[in-house]
Amino acid sequence: MRYDSITEAIGNTPLVRIDPQVHGLRHIDLYAKLEMLNPFGSLKDRAAWNMARDQLPEAAARGATVVELSSGNTAKALALIAGLHGLPFKSVTNRMRIPEVKDLLLLLGAEIEELPGQSECLDPTDTSDPLTVFHQRLNQPGSTHLHTDQYFNPLNAEAHAQGTGPEIIADLDGRAPDWFIACVGTAGSSTGVASALRAHRPAVQVIGLVGEKSEFIPGIRTAEEVQEVGLFDPATYDVIEAVGADEAIDGMLTLIRRCGLLSGPTGGAAYAGAVRHLKPLDTASAERRTAVFIVCDRAESYLGYVGRRRPELLGRPPVRNSVATLTSAELAAAPVVEVGEAQKWIETGQPLVVDLRGPFAFAALHIDGSVNIVDELFEELLRGGLPFSRSRPVLLACPVGEKSARYAALLTRMGHPDVRSLAGGIIAWRDAGAPLVRD
Amino acid sequence: MSDAPLYLEPKLGPDLASLLGSGPFLHTLADALGSPLNVVLPDRIARNLAEFEAVFRRHRLPGRVFFAHKTNRSSALVRRLAATGAGLDAASLGELQHALGSGFTPDRILATGPKDPEFLWLAARSGVVVNADGPAELAEAARLVRGYGLPRLRILLRLSGFETSGARMLSRRSRFGTSVKALGRLLDLLEDHRDALEPIGVGYHLDTTGIDEKATALEGCLRAMEDLRLRDFRPRAIDIGGGFGVGYLADGGQWDRYTTALTDAVMGRRSPLTWGGHGYGLRAENGTLKGALALYPAYRPVAGPAYLDELLSRPAPGLGRPLGTLLLDSLCDLYAEPGRALVDQCGLTLGRVLEVRETDGGGWLVRLGMNAADVGLEEHGVLMDPVLLRRPGGGPAAGGGGPVGVHLLGNLCLESDLITRRTVFLPGLPRPGDLLAFPNTAGYCMDFTATRAQQQPVARKVAVREGGGTWHWRLDEQYWPVTDTGGQDA
Repeated sequence: MRYDSITEAIGNTPLVRIDPQVHGLRHIDLYAKLEMLNPFGSLKDRAAWNMARDQLPEAAARGATVVELSSGNTAKALALIAGLHGLPFKSVTNRMRIPEVKDLLLLLGAEIEELPGQSECLDPTDTSDPLTVFHQRLNQPGSTHLHTDQYFNPLNAEAHAQGTGPEIIADLDGRAPDWFIACVGTAGSSTGVASALRAHRPAVQVIGLVGEKSEFIPGIRTAEEVQEVGLFDPATYDVIEAVGADEAIDGMLTLIRRCGLLSGPTGGAAYAGAVRHLKPLDTASAERRTAVFIVCDRAESYLGYVGRRRPELLGRPPVRNSVATLTSAELAAAPVVEVGEAQKWIETGQPLVVDLRGPFAFAALHIDGSVNIVDELFEELLRGGLPFSRSRPVLLACPVGEKSARYAALLTRMGHPDVRSLAGGIIAWRDAGAPLVRD
Repeated sequence: MSDAPLYLEPKLGPDLASLLGSGPFLHTLADALGSPLNVVLPDRIARNLAEFEAVFRRHRLPGRVFFAHKTNRSSALVRRLAATGAGLDAASLGELQHALGSGFTPDRILATGPKDPEFLWLAARSGVVVNADGPAELAEAARLVRGYGLPRLRILLRLSGFETSGARMLSRRSRFGTSVKALGRLLDLLEDHRDALEPIGVGYHLDTTGIDEKATALEGCLRAMEDLRLRDFRPRAIDIGGGFGVGYLADGGQWDRYTTALTDAVMGRRSPLTWGGHGYGLRAENGTLKGALALYPAYRPVAGPAYLDELLSRPAPGLGRPLGTLLLDSLCDLYAEPGRALVDQCGLTLGRVLEVRETDGGGWLVRLGMNAADVGLEEHGVLMDPVLLRRPGGGPAAGGGGPVGVHLLGNLCLESDLITRRTVFLPGLPRPGDLLAFPNTAGYCMDFTATRAQQQPVARKVAVREGGGTWHWRLDEQYWPVTDTGGQDA
C-alpha cells in the first residue's frame, strides 16, 4: 500500500466477526466495523474529510480558520486535516470532558474554546444560548472561517452513505445485514449507513443507541441532545434504545479482553447495546442472520474516564514506604518541634529544612534557607528509600503540620535518627511572627 | 404513557418534612396570619453553616462562611446566624444596617455589590470589609476615609475575566469586578492610597454552575495574591463568592423524565406541559431543537457544601495541585458567600386555595391567595411541586380522586399571573380552603420579588422551631436566638 497523502488511508476499514463464544448468540453472526482503524483514530475521519475536502483550497486562499463544535474525534480529524493544508483549526465545545482528548488537540495545534456553564441564578436578560451566539459570530460578513458544521452538514452523512455502508455490503458478499446498530452522536454515521443499507435491502433493522440521560458516555448524545442535531431524524431508526455508562465500559472490556479489539467506550456501548437487543431475537431461522455494529474509536484516550468510574480496572500493586501504611501509634509518636524551639534549632543544629508545599506558594513565602520538595514528589522519592543522609537532621514543614508529621513518622520508621515536623506548620510560623522570605 | 402525571417532588430534609407533616399547625398559622405566608426555620440555617464549616475543616482551611443576605430578608435567619461564627455579605445599606442591628460585628461583615455613597460611608464608618468592584469605588472609599478621619479601611478586590492557558475557557460575562488584566492599575491606585486602604485579599463573583470556570478564577486569584505581595501588601484572604447550588428535587429520574417530556412537547411529539405551550427557552425550528433550557438544574446530586468540597479538591488548571491544597500552601484564608445554599431547607411559602374550576377544555384551574411575585419559583426557574395540605375536616374534592394536572393562578387581574407556567401535577384535586405549601423557597424564591404594587397582601413571615415534639412560632421580627428559648440557655 503506497499513498501520496494520509487522507487516502481513510476508509476501507475491516469488518471483523465476533466469536460466538463471546457474545453467546447462536443464530446471528455479529460483526464489528472497525472504524477505529481509520488513520486519525476514529469514524469521524470520513466525515471530517468529506466535509472539508472540497473547500480546503479556497479556505487556504483566504487564510481561513477551520472551525467546528466538537469535543472529540471530529476535532481531532479536522485538526490534522487542517494542518495538512496549512490551516489553523479551532474547536468550540460545550465542555471537553476527556482531558486526554483536550491535550491531544492542543498537541495537534488546535485552539480550543470552551463554552461557559449554565447560569446559577436564572438571568432573564440572557436571551440566547452560547451556541446561538457562536453561530451568529460565525456568520458575520467577512468572517474568515471554514465551518464544517458536522451537526447539520449533509456531507457528514454522505461520507457514510458512500463509504461505510457500501463497504459493509461488499464485505458481507453483497448482502446487507439484518441489523445495523450504531451509537448516535452527530447521527452522521447511522443516517448515512442506514440509507446505503436500506437502498440495498429495505428490511434492514436500524438500532440507534443513545446515552442514558443521567450518565455521561463520551461520544454519545442523550435522547434529548440528539434532537438538537440537524441530521437526526427519528424515522431513520426502527428502535432507539438507551445504554448506560457501565454497560459501555463492560462492552469495551469484552471487546478488548476477549476479542482483541482496542475499542473505546462508544464501541463498547454499541457492542453491549447490540447483544442486549439481539438476545431475545436470537431464534433459529431458515438462514443465518447477521448484525453489524460500529467500533467508533480507540481505548487510549479514555483510560482516565474508565479509571474515574471503575478504578479497580486500573488496579496497581501497593507501594512501599507509603504514609498510608503508618499505624496510629507511629503517627502519635511522630517527632514534632514547636515554632520557638525550631527557630533556635535552625540556628544551632542546622537541620535541612524541607518545605512540602507547592512551588507556587513556596516561591511567594518560605523559611529562609529551606528547600522545596512538594509532597507528591516527596512521597515518590520515599518509595525508593531515604533521600537524606542519616547524619543530617531534617525539619519538615507543611501548611498546618499535619502532612509533615506523617512524613516525619515515616522517615523515622525508615531509620532516620533526627527528623522532626514543624508543629502547626508554616501557618503557625507566620502567626508567631517568625520571619518568612521570598528570594 | 403521555398522560401519566409528571411529578417533580421536592427534596425534603428532616426539618421541612416534619413541618409539612404538621398540617394542622400550618393551617392555624395561615388562618391567623393570612395567605400568602412565609415560614422560616432558623435552626436549620445554623446546621447548614456547620456543614460548610466542616468542608473548611476537612481541607484545613481557615476563613469564614458569609451569608449572602440578599437571598432572604428574614430577621430570624440573620439573628440566628449572628449567634454562630458565620459572617454576612451585605449588598445594600439596608442589609448592612440589618446585619449590624442583628448582632453582627463589623469584622464579620463584607460589603459587596454596587455601592451608593451612603452604603459605602456606613461600611467605612463601621469598619466592615469592603469588597470593591473597581477603581472608582476604591477612590471613593479612600476619599471617605480621609474626609471623615476614619481608620484604614480593609478592602477585597473583586476580579473578573480570568483566562486559562491551553484550552481557552469562555467564561460567562459578568457585570461585576475588574478584569485581572487591569489589576496593575488597581494596584497603582492602592499604592496611592496606602494610608487609607488596606487590601486584605481578592475575590470573584461568577454566576455559573460550571466548576471549571470557578477553578480558573480561583487559580487566577492565587496569582493575583502574588501580585499584591510583590507590591508589598500583605493579603490573606481569597473570596470565592457563592453559587454552590441547591438540589431541589428528590428524584433525578423524575427530573430526567420531565425534561425529556418537555423537549418532546416543544417538538410537538406530545401534548403541551405548560400554559400556552411555553418552552422554557427551548423551541423547534425546522424539526430541530433550538435554544437552551432556561431552568435551574433542579436535580443536582452535587450541590452546596459538596460542591465546595469538589471545587477545593479539583486540581488547579495551571498549577496542578488541588485548589484547597494551593490555598493552604499559600497560607490563605478562604471566604465563601453561599446564599441559596445556606438557606437550603430553611423555609416554605403557604398559599390558600381559593377556587377550583374546570375549564371548557377539561383542564383544571386552581386559584390561590397569592401571586407569582410571592413565590418566585418561576422567576428563578426552579420547577418543584407544591405539597397539598388538606384542610382538616374539609369536604370531598370535585372531579373524583386521583392524580390531576392543574394550572395554578394568582390573585392578580393579569393574564400573566400564573404561579407557575407549568402544568402542576397533584396527587388529588385540591378544595377551597386547602393549603399548597411551596417548600424550600427561602433562597430567592420567598420574598425576593414580592411587592405591594397591586395592594394585595404581602406575605407575613414567621420563624418556627421544633421543641418537645411540637412546633412553636414567632413573628419573624420578634425572633431572637434568646427569646426563642424563652430567654433561657438553649
